[in-house]
Amino acid sequence: MRKSIVAVAAIGALGLIGTVSLGLLQRPISAVALAASPPATFQPPAEADIPAGKFGDAVRMGEAIFRDPAAHASAFVGNDLRCSNCHLQAGRLAGSAPMWAAYVSYPAYRSKNGHVNSFEERLQGCFAYSMNGKAPKLGDPVLVALESYSYWLAKGLPTDEKTPGRGFPELAKPELAADYGRGAQVYSEHCAACHGPQGLGQSTGGKVVFPPLWGPRSYNWGAGMGSIKSAAEFIHANMPLGMGGSLTPQQAWDVATYMDSQVRPQDPRFVGTVEETRQKFHNNAFSMFGKMVNGAVLGDPAVTPPAETIPVGVAVPASLAPTK
Amino acid sequence: MAHLRCDHVNQSRTTRMRGFAQKLLGLFVMLCLAITSGQAQPSLLTAGEAIFLRGTEAGRPACAACHMPNAAGQPEVGIPRLAGLSTAYLLDQLGYFASGQRHNAAMSSYAAMLTPGQRLEVSTYLQTLPVPPPPDAPAAPSAQLARGEALFLNGDPATGLIGCVQCHGPAGQGVGEFSPRIGGQSAPYVMSELTDWRAGALRDPKGEYMRSIASHLTPSDLQAVAAYVSSLDDHGAPKQ
Repeated sequence: MRKSIVAVAAIGALGLIGTVSLGLLQRPISAVALAASPPATFQPPAEADIPAGKFGDAVRMGEAIFRDPAAHASAFVGNDLRCSNCHLQAGRLAGSAPMWAAYVSYPAYRSKNGHVNSFEERLQGCFAYSMNGKAPKLGDPVLVALESYSYWLAKGLPTDEKTPGRGFPELAKPELAADYGRGAQVYSEHCAACHGPQGLGQSTGGKVVFPPLWGPRSYNWGAGMGSIKSAAEFIHANMPLGMGGSLTPQQAWDVATYMDSQVRPQDPRFVGTVEETRQKFHNNAFSMFGKMVNGAVLGDPAVTPPAETIPVGVAVPASLAPTK
Repeated sequence: MAHLRCDHVNQSRTTRMRGFAQKLLGLFVMLCLAITSGQAQPSLLTAGEAIFLRGTEAGRPACAACHMPNAAGQPEVGIPRLAGLSTAYLLDQLGYFASGQRHNAAMSSYAAMLTPGQRLEVSTYLQTLPVPPPPDAPAAPSAQLARGEALFLNGDPATGLIGCVQCHGPAGQGVGEFSPRIGGQSAPYVMSELTDWRAGALRDPKGEYMRSIASHLTPSDLQAVAAYVSSLDDHGAPKQ
């Protein structure tokens, strides 16, 4: 009996080998050419080169926070996103807002808040908006760790706010005006398998694997990704994950419009009325805040989940407590 | 320019795939009518178990002959473990084998001998089986396992490779209907599939993700990741 099983198994194994050699003959498109990465840029140091000692510890903690902020900076995180969901390859990937390019671009004036921001203040914005959480105080070990990680990634790079690879690659305006309906179609064909039909993401084993794109556990209305332009650029360069550049620019604009026309947590800068908040912070063609979509006004407190939904009673991990 | 051409090819491929997807969706909806409120009916399980262990009256041999009665597969010769895979994934793959959209000398004809209803039965049964421990493979060199772990968790930023965990979950246990469990899977099987994808084969209508991702793997990295993946237990911990 055992012999016959082995014989069948051997036939099966031969089949596998046959499939391998057949596979070599059929190569319809170049998968490599899909990557829409911008021209070769700076390469940050290898993970193995993080130095030993206190500074190295801070770099490692920064990377750990970056990959899993809910586990390592839970007091400041109000949703199910990770830094590395948008800053792919843990902040290393050019064209996906890499941290090395950000680090050498600050201090910088930002029209978003009308003054010159330090790098740490820029990081605070990520917690308040993209993470729908609470900004750590300047000098907080969480910010110091993230700053250490970013500095280390940027080692050897000259300061220059025009560093190639910074932010997301420019994307030409679409031929047709971006459209919610076409975007919904793109979403269902290319995005829903991972991010879910309702955009709420997917988890396995208690961990969020595919991030929610809208709804109460996603970024709030103040986040950079809430700009259709930024979202289209990010999507075109990097999505679907592992197949960046496979959507047409038109598809990227359409699906970004669809994604950024959904309900998401309130803008923490909300000033009392939707109109006034739009006028003050969203007065541009790329924000849907205050617009009527599917019968509801986006940002209307009646349909909008709250901002700053940090978990109640979460203690700062001992590893992050300020040292005396 | 290369970019534009690529988009073009991609679009026609997408259109073709949409055709497949619609047909499959229709079939799937029909089959799903056999399931109520997400719970597998006992009759489905019994029928699936019979097919798996004893084959069908139409002369289809038992799946267990190659995949073993506990569905642990025969990892050393590349016959994959089926226990722990989702009904959705198994049903898709059996359908692809039957229709010729995925090819394998043994599985293509076997899957075609099953009716769509029988494919649902056996796929439903397999999802209920406990996940067997990782195979007793000869220990891979520790440097290779360390490289495999790094690739599994973080990918390789230098080549644009994303980590396996980004789609298959932190323990390689698979995510919903999108990605199958890979933790503890046969190393030769994983090698074989990655090698095909890396060579440009689509494998099945959903293979475009893995084809794109595998194109970033070097042959030695491919071995490393297969060795590491096969060592993972049900909780994503490497076997001691």
